[in-house]
Amino acid sequence: MIKLVTGLAVAVTCTAGLTLGAYAAPVNISDFKLAPRIAAKIAAGEELNIFVSYPDVSNEFAPFVLEGVARADAMEGIKATVIGPVGPDADAQVNEIETLLDTIDGLAIASVSTDDLAPLLNRMIEEGIPVIAYNTDNPASTRLVFAGQDLTQSGREAGKLMGDVLGGQGKVIITTLNAAAQWSLDREAGAREGLAAFPGIEVISTINTGTEPQEIYGAIENAMLANPDVTGILSLECCSTPAAGTWVERNEAKGKVHVVGFDLLDLTVEHIENGFVDATIDQDPERQGFEAVNLLAKFLAGETIDDIDTGVKVYTAANIGELK
Amino acid sequence: MDEPIAIKAAAEGVPSRMRRLRLGREFGVFVALIVLCIVLTLLNDRFLTPTNLLNIGRQVSLMGIMAIGMTFVLVSGEVDLSVGSTYGLCGIVVGVLMVAGYPLALAVALGLVIGAGIGLINGILSTYLRLPSLIATLGMLSMVRGAALILTDGKPVTVNARNGVGEADLAMFEFLGQGKLLGVPMQLVFFIVFAILGWFLLSRTSFGFRIFAVGGSAKAARVSGINVASVKIWALTLMGVLAALAGTLSLAFLPSGQAGRMGLGLELDVIAATIVGGTTLAGGEGTILGTVLGVLIIGVLRNGLVLTGVSPFAQEFLIGLVIVVAVGIDKWSSASKQN
Repeated sequence: MIKLVTGLAVAVTCTAGLTLGAYAAPVNISDFKLAPRIAAKIAAGEELNIFVSYPDVSNEFAPFVLEGVARADAMEGIKATVIGPVGPDADAQVNEIETLLDTIDGLAIASVSTDDLAPLLNRMIEEGIPVIAYNTDNPASTRLVFAGQDLTQSGREAGKLMGDVLGGQGKVIITTLNAAAQWSLDREAGAREGLAAFPGIEVISTINTGTEPQEIYGAIENAMLANPDVTGILSLECCSTPAAGTWVERNEAKGKVHVVGFDLLDLTVEHIENGFVDATIDQDPERQGFEAVNLLAKFLAGETIDDIDTGVKVYTAANIGELK
Repeated sequence: MDEPIAIKAAAEGVPSRMRRLRLGREFGVFVALIVLCIVLTLLNDRFLTPTNLLNIGRQVSLMGIMAIGMTFVLVSGEVDLSVGSTYGLCGIVVGVLMVAGYPLALAVALGLVIGAGIGLINGILSTYLRLPSLIATLGMLSMVRGAALILTDGKPVTVNARNGVGEADLAMFEFLGQGKLLGVPMQLVFFIVFAILGWFLLSRTSFGFRIFAVGGSAKAARVSGINVASVKIWALTLMGVLAALAGTLSLAFLPSGQAGRMGLGLELDVIAATIVGGTTLAGGEGTILGTVLGVLIIGVLRNGLVLTGVSPFAQEFLIGLVIVVAVGIDKWSSASKQN
């Protein structure tokens, strides 16, 4: 039986899986050798330049994060600027930060690639420029703290949700825009772990859909044709979730094929209202963008900062109306 | 318009040889497609079903519509790397206009005009301003994608009643992308119609002959009285219109478009399918039938690899391998024929 009870707006506090770098959170500026030019600006009361680097400013998720950064930009004494490549290009992200290095008083980053960005982030820390991670952690670096969702935990939660909606029985395919990306691997590991708690559920395969909308839909269409006995589609991100819902709608599979996914794109919300998507997990991207700046502002003001978990908030037909 | 006598003579003098050569190329691609279908049918009993075949047809349609335009461009000796971005921008523009309350017909017309405009700019840059089309359209790829992102601020555009799109316009828009005509998906209907129109234009009109003449030897075409720049500009403009149409149909099928992802990387698929179908990058050679077969090979391969459970990473490898092998066979066979 479906166990998605009314009002299932569960903010799960995630304590596991936040990997720490050389700076064990909580951390204070007194533990950090701040670059002299930044210290001088603080002493002179000058406006501080906080840069927020997002791994792909052109994707659907970015505007939500950017809204949070814009809110933080209104803080006194802080100038918050969003940077980042168009398309998930690690080289472009590194080059952009290196170009701006002398003007950065604090950097919040969601890395395209953990290993590609870590050396630069470590160098910045050594040079006395505060760096924090947000949205996607960079455990290979010595970043000060992390603000965002524990990806493995959110995957685990998605797996558990899928198990619940399927009543513990069925066959599941997992879809992702990029099966090789670290965020996807983390979420997939969590999802498989969550599903493993239901012995009656079999994970058929992981479908790498690509990022182009027609490609995503076509990949789901082909996968469902190849596996007609699949009863659940678990999407690991924002963008194959509405496509899976659209497949259910177009193939009149409501109630036969269940969809659990991530984030709150317009079409996902509509599909939940109409029953084509059973549940979606929000990660509060606006707050992630705000906290990316806020944590650095606090740190530079001398306050002690700690990791922030933006949690796992589940939306179903029962509570999607809260968004209106 | 009077056709230069030299061109008429050339057109009448070479057809049998050219036709044999083209038939040979298409036949090779056709045999490859049939072999692929037989193998996939033996490997998976769900491949050769009406549902799956219609799925393949629909899945390749948008790429196919653009590949028809790309055939004109490549045969004329140019290339267009901006088609994916044009597809994205024009689809997004149609969506933005519909959400803003513009009637469907006007929104679609403006989208197509923008596509034509991008093609026209590509043509002017690569002819009158003498920029290689590879560079000019590479620049346009970035500019057009950037324009789409600026227009939407990176936010998705969703064409639905919730966003204020009128019921009648929405129903018609959905029919264009999601409807069926005699059981055939509308996208596939558009592909078939434009393939026929493209075949007629390329192989049965003087414009088509001029495309071949310009692509075969621009210098000889110029001496024969053909306005080379005009022919190339028309080819690139046609490409822009077809990319805009495909982008519009894409949004009509999946009603939520995002500027950063719509059509991303599609240019390479379109060029690959066209080349697999026997059109050469050097210009002067290619047919619409070959392109349709090339598009089907790519579509059947993608579909079949998923049906047979091949891992996504291996799929990428195999699709690349097929492109290399198909083009290699084409080159070797045409070289041996010439010898």
